[in-house]
Amino acid sequence: MSQPVVVCKGVTKTYQKEAVPVHALRGVDFVVHPGEFVSLSGPSGSGKSTLLNIIGGLDRPDSGSVVVDEVDYGGLSESALAELRLHKLGFVFQAYNLIPVLSALENVEFIMQLQGVPAAERQGRAEDVLTKLGLGEMIHRRPGEMSGGQQQRVAVARAIASDPVLLLADEPSANLDSRTTEELLELLKRLNQDNGMTIITATHDPMVMSYATRQVKLRDGAIEHDDAALPA
Amino acid sequence: MSEAVAALPARANRRARGFTWLMAWRNLWRNPRRTWLTAGGIAFASSLVTMAMALQAGTYQSMITGSTGFYLGQAQINHTDYELEEKLEQTLPNATELMRQLDDIAGLRVAPRVQAFALASVGERSFGAAVVGVDFAAEAQVVGFFDRVHVGVLPLAADEVVVGEAMARNLGAGIGDELVLLGAAKEGGIGALALRISGLFSSGQIELDRTLVFTHLATVQNGFALGDEVHALVLRVDEVEQLPAYQRQIELLLPERAVFRPWQQLLPEVVQGIELDRITALLFYGALLILVTFSVVNTFIMVVFERTREFGMLLALGTKPSLIMRLVQAEAFIMWILGVSIGLLLSNVAVAWAAAVGIPLGGIEETMQQYYMPSRLYPAITFASISLAPVALLLGTQLAALLVTLRIHRLQPVTALRAE
Repeated sequence: MSQPVVVCKGVTKTYQKEAVPVHALRGVDFVVHPGEFVSLSGPSGSGKSTLLNIIGGLDRPDSGSVVVDEVDYGGLSESALAELRLHKLGFVFQAYNLIPVLSALENVEFIMQLQGVPAAERQGRAEDVLTKLGLGEMIHRRPGEMSGGQQQRVAVARAIASDPVLLLADEPSANLDSRTTEELLELLKRLNQDNGMTIITATHDPMVMSYATRQVKLRDGAIEHDDAALPA
Repeated sequence: MSEAVAALPARANRRARGFTWLMAWRNLWRNPRRTWLTAGGIAFASSLVTMAMALQAGTYQSMITGSTGFYLGQAQINHTDYELEEKLEQTLPNATELMRQLDDIAGLRVAPRVQAFALASVGERSFGAAVVGVDFAAEAQVVGFFDRVHVGVLPLAADEVVVGEAMARNLGAGIGDELVLLGAAKEGGIGALALRISGLFSSGQIELDRTLVFTHLATVQNGFALGDEVHALVLRVDEVEQLPAYQRQIELLLPERAVFRPWQQLLPEVVQGIELDRITALLFYGALLILVTFSVVNTFIMVVFERTREFGMLLALGTKPSLIMRLVQAEAFIMWILGVSIGLLLSNVAVAWAAAVGIPLGGIEETMQQYYMPSRLYPAITFASISLAPVALLLGTQLAALLVTLRIHRLQPVTALRAE
């Protein structure tokens, strides 16, 4: 079996909320293999977004270890974590979070420019990805000139354009209607099935969960159910 | 750091320069009103400071030109002790030979003077006077004092004299009257002259009009036993700024116990007046520029506050905080370019116009004459006038943006992404 993309061991995280400790994660063990489409679900406060953020290097665990694509986050500086996010991970956020002053094409190019991809190459790749996602006609539009679904597709294009080892999506359907959500999920499914992209999404949307190939449910900071743990 | 992360192109963020400027430019127009207000503040401050400094520069030039061209000249050569005591004995010997050597210096004009103190009498009235012997033709090349003879004419004959209007009034004298001058000559003898008044001058400075009388150089030299000696060689060059270069040449020719005194030593009150005005103005400019810088700080506090979520997203994607700081610095720089360009354009058009037509002094013309000022002020564009405000504002805006964006280093992507 190939090396896992994500390995979390005994991950804990406690927040202080008005001086009261909130145990967001209580010793979570979690492994994701290449090509999996995992949905992290659970009620609010269950720890799904916290786990996603820790896997994405956006937050640090209080204890335990996180290894993504064979890189152990332990002891990495903020700068090294930023480099890792830039080169190995793709993010799709709940509220699209595109750069409002850049066009769709420029938004997709932006990450590649940070990575140092030459102009001609990154422009070609960005156009290619946007066209594949059905946005070929609106590459020069800015986010404000696009619908929510179109913006989320641009966000996906931005996330996958530089071919990350792992795509992380936090509540990707939260601001979308059901038809647009379905379109987005079909897109993620295609990326997962056709390109073998590993996807982890945090959601409480049943439709998103239904598209995932593996369901992981969290409650009170611990994994309550994991398809991977079930006998095949 | 693990080998895998170490292998990543750590300097990749630096390659995003093109996008930095593009994003900075477009970010400014997300809120055009705020951008124009801030740029307008920068434009206002830079134009005000530029115009005020140009006016100052023009005023100082007028003061220096007016004061040096009035009577004392741009520089003088004197006996080393003459500045302190002004004694009759403190002369420059062999003046003719020294003047001949000075004449060889291209562009330098020289007027010799001797000065003795005497009792001036007309009939039974007497007053103390300074008797100045000059070469009227040379004086005309060096100062404009004798343009102020407005009654009668300059002395033509050796026994003619011009006196100040106030002295003539005090003596009850007029054109054609005989003026007797009696004083101590060099080497302890008596200096006595009987001269005919050929003209009256009114310099605008009552002290001079009350005490000075002018006649030919040789008349005073002969009358007061001064031989070929003078008390001052008054100097003028085309541009007063060239004086230091001339000074080096002139000092090579000077005999012992002779000193070159530039206008700054001859007219310390003018230097002090300029310095005082300059310091006062700098305090005002400083206050104005600090105020504008605070308005820029305010703008960038708003910018960072409003875009916290966006910055969080950029950090989450792997953008380095330093790149985001550069982005805001670039926005501040473009805002500065906009403001300063408008400010300099407006101020330089205004200054160019005022420099062409002059600004009339109106009712304060006579007062200003005491300070050697002409009837109109002509602002002058100088390097300092067009560079002080822009440079100060550039530093101010960049510092403002830097101070405000330092918090980006402490920004956590997760926290920032939750910002409203």
